[in-house]
Parts: sequence; C-alpha cells; structure tokens
Amino acid sequence: MKHFLLAAAVTAIVTTAAAQNRAPADVIHMRQANYKQMGAAMHAISEQLHGASPSIDAIRQGSRTIVGFAPQLLRWFPRGTGPEAGVRTRALPEIWTDNQNFRRAGAGLLVAARSLDAAARRGDLAAVRAAVPQLAHACSNCHDTYRAPEH
Amino acid sequence: MRGTVSVWDLPTRLFHWAIVLLVPALWWTHKIDRLDLHILLGETMMGLVLFRLIWGLIGSSTARFAGFVRGPGAVLRYLRGQAAAPFGHNPVGGWSALLMLLLLAMQVGIGLFVSDEDALNTGPLSHLIDYDSARTLAERHETIFYVLLGVIALHVSAILYYLIVKRDNLVTPMVTGRRDAPAGAPAMTPAPLWRFLLAAALAAGLTWIVSNHL
Repeated sequence: MKHFLLAAAVTAIVTTAAAQNRAPADVIHMRQANYKQMGAAMHAISEQLHGASPSIDAIRQGSRTIVGFAPQLLRWFPRGTGPEAGVRTRALPEIWTDNQNFRRAGAGLLVAARSLDAAARRGDLAAVRAAVPQLAHACSNCHDTYRAPEH
Repeated sequence: MRGTVSVWDLPTRLFHWAIVLLVPALWWTHKIDRLDLHILLGETMMGLVLFRLIWGLIGSSTARFAGFVRGPGAVLRYLRGQAAAPFGHNPVGGWSALLMLLLLAMQVGIGLFVSDEDALNTGPLSHLIDYDSARTLAERHETIFYVLLGVIALHVSAILYYLIVKRDNLVTPMVTGRRDAPAGAPAMTPAPLWRFLLAAALAAGLTWIVSNHL
C-alpha cells in the first residue's frame, strides 16, 4: 500500500511537471493514455460487480488507479492542448473558454473517486455499488460537455 | 388485388423494414455519442435478428432458409439465365439475404461484449471479458459495420437493377406482401399464428435474459 501510494505520488508529480513543459502533442498523448487506464480500471470494477462473487481486492485496485489519477486530471489540460494542437484530440475548446465550470466538473470527479475508493478500502460492497454510478455520472458530466464524439 | 398472390408474410416484412430503420438509427446514435440509446437499439436489433433466424426455420414457406438457400449449381443456372426465378427469393437474392442476416447476427453478438473507452457504456455482456478485449471488439464492431454497408449497397443496387433493367418491382411486394402471380408457381404457404407467437416469445425471452440477467 505504502509503495503504491509512493508510486502514485511520484507518477502524479512526474506527469504534472511534464505537462507544464512538454510539447502539446506529448501532453495530449499522455492524458489519453491515462484516461485509457482509468477506463480499464472502470471496466475491471464493473467485471467484478457483475460477477457472482466480486473480488474486493480487484475492485480496490481499480479504485486506486482512478483515485490516483483524479487529482491530476485538471492539470492535463494546459492551454494549447486543444484542437489547435494539430494532434487528434477530442478535447473541445470549451475546456478553456468555460474553464471555471470545467474545473468544477473536475473537482466533482475527485469527490466521486474518493468516495468510491473509501468504500472499496472499507471492503463495503454495497457502498461500492452505490458509488460507481456516481463516479460514472461525474465522468460523463465532463465528457458530455467538453469532449467531442468519437467520429 | 386481382392477379396477385401473397409472397412475403407480415412478420417478414415488418422485420425487413424495422432493419431499414434500425441500421441508420444505430449508426446515428453512435455518431452523436448517445451510446445508451445505441445499446438499447442494439438489443432491439438482437431480438429482431433472433426472431428472423427462428422464422427462417418455422416461418412461412418463402421465409424459410430451406426454401431459399440454394446450392452453387442453382445459383449458376440462375445467373446464366438457364433457370426462371423461383417464387420468393431467387438463388442469388437468397444468399444476399442470408449474408446480411449473418452479418447482423455477428454485429449484435460482438456488440454485446463491446465497451467504450471509458467503460461507462458497455454491451450487456462486456463484464465477462477484460477491457482490452472489449476495446478490440469495438474495432471489429466498426469493421463489420462497413462490411454490412457494402453488402447493403449491393442489395440496393440489385433491387434497382431489377426495377430499371428487368422491369421487376421488388419493393412494392416487400410493402404489400403481394406480387403478380407467376404462371404455374406455387403461392406462399403461410405459417399459423401460434408459430409466430412462439418465435416472437423465444426471441424476446432470449434477448431479455442476455440483456439483463447474465
């Protein structure tokens, strides 16, 4: 656990520091890779919750990944990493033109991710089941407004 | 309706036109990122495809695979103009219908396991496989869509060819269920209502279980 938190903290610091200085294309690819990991974690949690005997360890692993990324997320969008970067990205200009609401939505995700992770760490499956839709809602909350459709 | 006979029963026609509406609707709901609706429509498609597969076994004579899926010899003879078009699907059209149905079945079957990249909108069986597999299947789901589009284009072209070149309107019979009585050809033998109810109940039940209870 300690090692994991340390690793998460290091990852957070490294990727954040990197986001400030790296080329827009690198930042975009970095955040896309991170979002994929969050998607995989979300899927892993759902695999467990739909199964006959959910593994709380597997759920915890997923919630850790998500809660590890959640606090960094708002820093993955420095100016210049929108559609103008010339790289394929679904990030919409509203992220920067409507930045205050974007940040509010990001803060909402952090709250939802923490409450899921807390439930998972307690081993409270019922609370996990209640927290997952909340987290999904927080994810969609941002995607619906600030992310373009896939095609 | 003098001089016309039944060729397609009502379930077969309803199935056909439902697909005509559903395919663009499925494309559109994906395009605008309404995956929740896309999944709902996909489950509806699953029910229809299952129904048609069962109807191909126990439905009216012109809807049955045994009646319209012909061997390569029959297909060649028809293409060379050595054999008259039988009542219902001709040997080439039969294969086209079967191919579209199988592609729809594959598409629905794969769609059950697909996940979007956020794992927020997932097919009803996506939890049975891991994320990476579900994302790979999302790509297959897209590929099959384009193959399906190609076969549909071929199907529509053939209908137009029959209409314009061969002066044979195949669209109206698919709406009204009736066409001119060909000389000496048997009419459609309709399936009784209970078979329709059985096929519909089986298809709906199976779809409901797969969508909500696995």
